[in-house]
Amino acid sequence: MRGTDIRKRLLLLIPMVLGITFLSFALMHLAGSDAVLQKAESSGIALSQEVLEAQRAELGLDQPFILQYLNWLGRFLTGDMGTSYVSGKDVWSTFLSKLPATLLLTGTSLLLTAGIAIPLGILSAVKQNRFTDGLIRVCSFVGNSLPNFFVALLLMYLLSIQMPVFPVIARGIGWRSAALPTLTLAIAMSAKYLRQVRAAVLEERNRDYVAGERARGIRFGVTLRKSVLRSCMVTLLTLMSLSAGSLLGGTAIVEAIFMWDGVGKLAVDAMEMRDYPMIQAYVVWMALIYALINLITDVLYHVLDPRIRLEGERS
Amino acid sequence: MKRRWIRRGVGAMLLAAVLAGCAGQAARESGEKDPPVRQEAVQEEKTLVFGDTTFNAENGESDINPHHDSGGWACIRYGVGETLFRFTDQMEIEPWLAESYERVDERTWRITLKEGISFTSGRIMDAEAVKECLEALVEANARAAGNLRLETVTAEGLTLTIGTKVPVPALLNDLADPYGCIYDVQAGVTEDGIVQGTGPYRAVALTTDTSLELVKNEQYWNGEPKIDRITVRTITDGDTLTVALQSGEIDVAYGMPYISYPLFENDRYTFTGCSTSRVIFGAMNFESAIMQDPAVRKAVSMGIDKEGFVETLLGGNGTPAAGPFPDTVSFGGDAVRAPAYDPEKAMQVLEEAGWTDTDGDGIREKDGTPLTIRWLTYPSRQEQPFLAEAAQAMLKTIGIRVEIQNTANHNQVRTDRSAWDIYVSTFVAAPTGDPEYFFAYHCLDRSGSNDGRYHSDRLESLAEEMEGTFDTDRRAELAQQMQQIILDDSAYIFFAHLRMNMISASNVTGLTAHPCDYYEITADLDIRE
Repeated sequence: MRGTDIRKRLLLLIPMVLGITFLSFALMHLAGSDAVLQKAESSGIALSQEVLEAQRAELGLDQPFILQYLNWLGRFLTGDMGTSYVSGKDVWSTFLSKLPATLLLTGTSLLLTAGIAIPLGILSAVKQNRFTDGLIRVCSFVGNSLPNFFVALLLMYLLSIQMPVFPVIARGIGWRSAALPTLTLAIAMSAKYLRQVRAAVLEERNRDYVAGERARGIRFGVTLRKSVLRSCMVTLLTLMSLSAGSLLGGTAIVEAIFMWDGVGKLAVDAMEMRDYPMIQAYVVWMALIYALINLITDVLYHVLDPRIRLEGERS
Repeated sequence: MKRRWIRRGVGAMLLAAVLAGCAGQAARESGEKDPPVRQEAVQEEKTLVFGDTTFNAENGESDINPHHDSGGWACIRYGVGETLFRFTDQMEIEPWLAESYERVDERTWRITLKEGISFTSGRIMDAEAVKECLEALVEANARAAGNLRLETVTAEGLTLTIGTKVPVPALLNDLADPYGCIYDVQAGVTEDGIVQGTGPYRAVALTTDTSLELVKNEQYWNGEPKIDRITVRTITDGDTLTVALQSGEIDVAYGMPYISYPLFENDRYTFTGCSTSRVIFGAMNFESAIMQDPAVRKAVSMGIDKEGFVETLLGGNGTPAAGPFPDTVSFGGDAVRAPAYDPEKAMQVLEEAGWTDTDGDGIREKDGTPLTIRWLTYPSRQEQPFLAEAAQAMLKTIGIRVEIQNTANHNQVRTDRSAWDIYVSTFVAAPTGDPEYFFAYHCLDRSGSNDGRYHSDRLESLAEEMEGTFDTDRRAELAQQMQQIILDDSAYIFFAHLRMNMISASNVTGLTAHPCDYYEITADLDIRE
């Protein structure tokens, strides 16, 4: 992938972000209600029509939809993400304050997932159709079937009540607080990925070059490490980049259960409360994350797989 | 080959060390405590952790500034702020920061403040400080401005004189609303939304949707607070709140799901609870052809078993309601009569009105129109969808088909009166112990939330009388009559008043639920080591 290709992809981000922000703004308006009504409902206190109207006017919600969008866009282009309709606090600083937690949880859960899925996937492939393979596949099936919230509650029961090793509620950003949310996410993701790793290794294992190396007396361990795993990297990279994208968007359920202060819960709360400026900040973040991760993945494909690189050069 | 493996091993160890260092740094920066469970307090400080599902921006409590949204609820609940007047257990008004009061004329009140009270900022609370706070309140909070209708506030020593634009009989009640927490305006509001009040605890740190840190107010005027440090933790998920109390990470839980109660019904925990004025009720739509028939409204009112709903679906955590107000106020509870649950009589009422099942499908018809009512409700109050399904089953037995529309978009749907027949919602009927509020918001021609467009000449005239009546006994009488009118018209059905409970570890003392739901952390709260 050449520098001009990367520049083109980055330039495409501009219309993409504009289109996505307009769509999300329109969809939120179609969903009905607004931040003023949602807040009044949550608190259970009735407000007179005059008070409701005054609050709407204060937030600019009395203006036509397109004008509201253009106002938001105007501020966004000058780097001002606005003020939350719900908390009254600056959107950008609120969003930034949640990012470290999300980044940490993304990093730890991806590392743990890779740490579980890659060795177990390989072991399962190497021991194909034996007891170990069967056991790993059953565990993977169970892990895949359990919903996140259930795993979270099980872990809390075991590791916070029966054996008080980790806290239930996160206290800031740190490894102890991150342990249970990381485990919850990694169990589900590794259950899925180890099957993919197993399938990729099995596919490579049946190729001619593996048989050729064995015929030349090279141990299978060496072939696995030097050739098979490298060929499987493209599959793994695709899976990991997709997961990174969704994890960076936050995991609302896990965050809510462990009171992990990340962007996922922030986004879901903002949607429930029709907090348009906060939703827009999240949408921009997600658009950028997916575009950049896809770009980085494409670049890494070229680095890792000579076939893709050569194909690109020929075309 | 061997050397390469050694290099890799050393590299991996270095990476692990760096990661561990980063995690440790992050933990130090964020203040994470090392042990998994709450540490023993340093230097024998008494500490308590209070878990609350409601302390969040979604509820209007992004901070404890009483002038901002519902910040007053957090300010008063967590012992930071206090109001000039407060509610007794019978929801009657009594002076708190005020020593006494006098109504000079219909629009003028003279309030004398208690002596020797100071804010946690150190400033003395005198009439001038209260004046500044009330003026800032009506400037910032439209709801308060609309209720208090202040025209002039004058201060002299400890005497505050309030002049209102019109007669405001419930002024003292409105001053006891959480937005009326008195704080030092000159000390200001921090960026995080912390104010300096007069309560037993002083807020020192606040992170929206996460936590509030409180320390003992050493200069508190009304007794010595017993606990050195209190952390209020926002825990929005009910299951997490349950596990956190079980694991001992929190000492008190507010907002526990009813389903978790059996886990705590043993001698390791204590419950404190009472009925509140939070009522689940249905408004009939008077613009719907079917609901204009009084027989249908009456049959619906008689066809739903409220006691069964409370016992079975609320697990006993409520009280069947007759009218909008609970029995904690003199004009509530059994002071009014609602149609009793009587399916036989409900069927008779429908028969007499010409609603009969002519085609044998179990649903009554009249002039070819089947008796179908559209039940609008919303899911954010978990009890409401259950109630809708229970009502659907119960009303079917008397020949009424119920179509449920359970939608988060109810605020938009309810404005379209061709889309529903009964709208079921939850509402705090008497947040300041005064009855006028409920009628003013729901039942009158001028009410913003009169969703069913109900009208009664008699009710309008009694409401007008209440607006100018200062005598509390007469107001209670009027409230009783007004409730009876809306019940006799079957214009509303009141299903249940919800019970508010707090659960604490058994070593916590001095925690008492109050019907107004405002007073939680007080100077009496204590925890045994």
